[in-house]
Amino acid sequence: MLETRAALEGDRTLAYATLAPSVVFLVLLAGVPTITVFVTAMQDIGMGDMSGPYVGFENFVWALTSESFYTALWNTFIWVFGSVSIEMVLGLGLALLLNKTFAVRGIARAVILAPYLVPTVVAVLTWRYMFHDIVGIINAGLIATGLIDKPLLWLNSESLAMTSVILVGVWKFFPFAVIALLGILQAIPQEQYEAAKIDGASSMQQFWRITLPYVMPVFLLTALLRTIWTFHKFEIIYLMTGGGPLDATTTLPILVYLKAFTDFEFGRAAAVAILTFGILGILLGLYFMLIKRAEARQ
Amino acid sequence: MARLEIRQVSKIFADHTAVSDVSLTVNDGEFLVLLGPSGCGKSTLLRMIAGLDLPTYGDIVIGDRVATRLQPKDRNIAMVFQNYALYPHLTVYENIAFPLRVRGADSRLVDEKVQWAAGLVGLSKLLKRKPRQMSGGERQRTALARSLVRDPDVFLLDEPLSNLDAKLRHSAREELRQFQDRVGVTSVYVTHDQVEAMGLGDRIVVMQAGTVRQIGTPEEIYQHPADTFVATFMGSPPMNLVSQGDVTLGFRPESFLPEGNYPAGSDITRISFRVHRVEYLGGDRLLYGHVSGNLPETPAIARIPSSVAYSPVLGSETAFAVASGDLRRFETASGKALSTAVPASERRLAHA
Repeated sequence: MLETRAALEGDRTLAYATLAPSVVFLVLLAGVPTITVFVTAMQDIGMGDMSGPYVGFENFVWALTSESFYTALWNTFIWVFGSVSIEMVLGLGLALLLNKTFAVRGIARAVILAPYLVPTVVAVLTWRYMFHDIVGIINAGLIATGLIDKPLLWLNSESLAMTSVILVGVWKFFPFAVIALLGILQAIPQEQYEAAKIDGASSMQQFWRITLPYVMPVFLLTALLRTIWTFHKFEIIYLMTGGGPLDATTTLPILVYLKAFTDFEFGRAAAVAILTFGILGILLGLYFMLIKRAEARQ
Repeated sequence: MARLEIRQVSKIFADHTAVSDVSLTVNDGEFLVLLGPSGCGKSTLLRMIAGLDLPTYGDIVIGDRVATRLQPKDRNIAMVFQNYALYPHLTVYENIAFPLRVRGADSRLVDEKVQWAAGLVGLSKLLKRKPRQMSGGERQRTALARSLVRDPDVFLLDEPLSNLDAKLRHSAREELRQFQDRVGVTSVYVTHDQVEAMGLGDRIVVMQAGTVRQIGTPEEIYQHPADTFVATFMGSPPMNLVSQGDVTLGFRPESFLPEGNYPAGSDITRISFRVHRVEYLGGDRLLYGHVSGNLPETPAIARIPSSVAYSPVLGSETAFAVASGDLRRFETASGKALSTAVPASERRLAHA
């Protein structure tokens, strides 16, 4: 086996060679922009002057002392908490329903997954029509049923805009929770329920004592994953309201965009982006911790 | 505790009949084993007793109540599942306590009962464990304790030993039987393993293709099989069958010995045997070969204790014999035994 060493060397060269393109792309596509953002955050870059002077942590100080940052942080919290909690509860309910045997189950499963497959832009434009104060079907329906007597400004009033975008976000993404939860529901062994029936557990007790504990780890992981994804969601809000009216729906990603491309304050935008990145990093850490715990339980 | 009666029960699924017109009675305190190959309907029958499946026809009577349409929880039965169906997120203590908790028992009673049941199956020291931290045998005992905790009238067991390795299965079988003797609950036990059935059952119900082939004590079933199916299903290696026109002769491998082994003048039936191969099993030797001579050439097996001095000559015809009392006769066409009468001396009361 004199060739072993040479063969190993050859294998290694081949391994590096095949890995190289991916590494190069990763560095170019993820590494360089990330570093650029960090560098930008330390500069005072404005319109027309892309080689702004180094200002240290000034942009961060601005962010952490400005009202707009905290408003965006609060809006982000409302947006994330509102969307994810409704998505998860709705998702669990529908998953439980779809897990039962009934006549049109196959069709129902397909229909419920549809929103997830509709392109966001198409979905948002459709919803904007539906939310329109004068020609929208939502106001028309509410007036026809007598619930309201004059049109509501769904997207143009500070009090309703966030509710509206949350509604659209939920509509678009609850199928994800349904898929994840339906998967775990189907993995619960039937004998568990049969044993419980013989032991005298009612349907409610079966839900609380068997279904829920079984589903909980996946429920939490899905909720956390949805939290992370909803946190940096940009296009739904931007296309629906552009962050307005005033700053009623300006979340952190929207603030980054507005700072950069409306106010042309790239340095401050980068600082907000990095702070957002930090919060997401904490959430991601939490996610991996939960995954590890779930794996340890297996 | 109660008597269990199954009256002309059938279960017909969309595409096949799983159980067909089965009637049987399990006496109070009896340990009855439902035995048969997979797909014979034994598990379906057990599920109907449990109330998990509804019979298409017939009735199930527990104690003096017709239970056919009662919910599982209203039958006061307990069931141990093949995979134990323990709740993975609950400790052993909470698993055992489950039937009491869902019935809203107060925590003092729960604790008393759990300690009692855990003590019975030797789990008192493991109550804080979760099922995943336990061995197969411990899980099985947890499932037993859970099923005991509410004093069921009838105890149903669906192949509870099949997930254990061979060594553990043997000791678990012994424990289970001792345990049933102690508790004395009417039990119905489903298995496809004839050794398990013989070792555990007061009586055995042999099922095939949804029907009952024979009901009897292990000895009755082994010594006097009702038909050729039971004759070949019970015993390993199975009973030798030799067709001779309308009649099929049957004899167990261990009753098939060299003629010289019988004292002169004993009532024996001589059968020539040509041995092809010898398998040494330690305590016994299995001789594979063909019967020949006055009988049609048919494959057969003889089981000779290693303590018997005998060295077979491969390929040559040897004089073997079966004690006439050990010879069984079946009708060739139907496979039914021709004389099913069991000698009174061999009859054993199910629960003497």
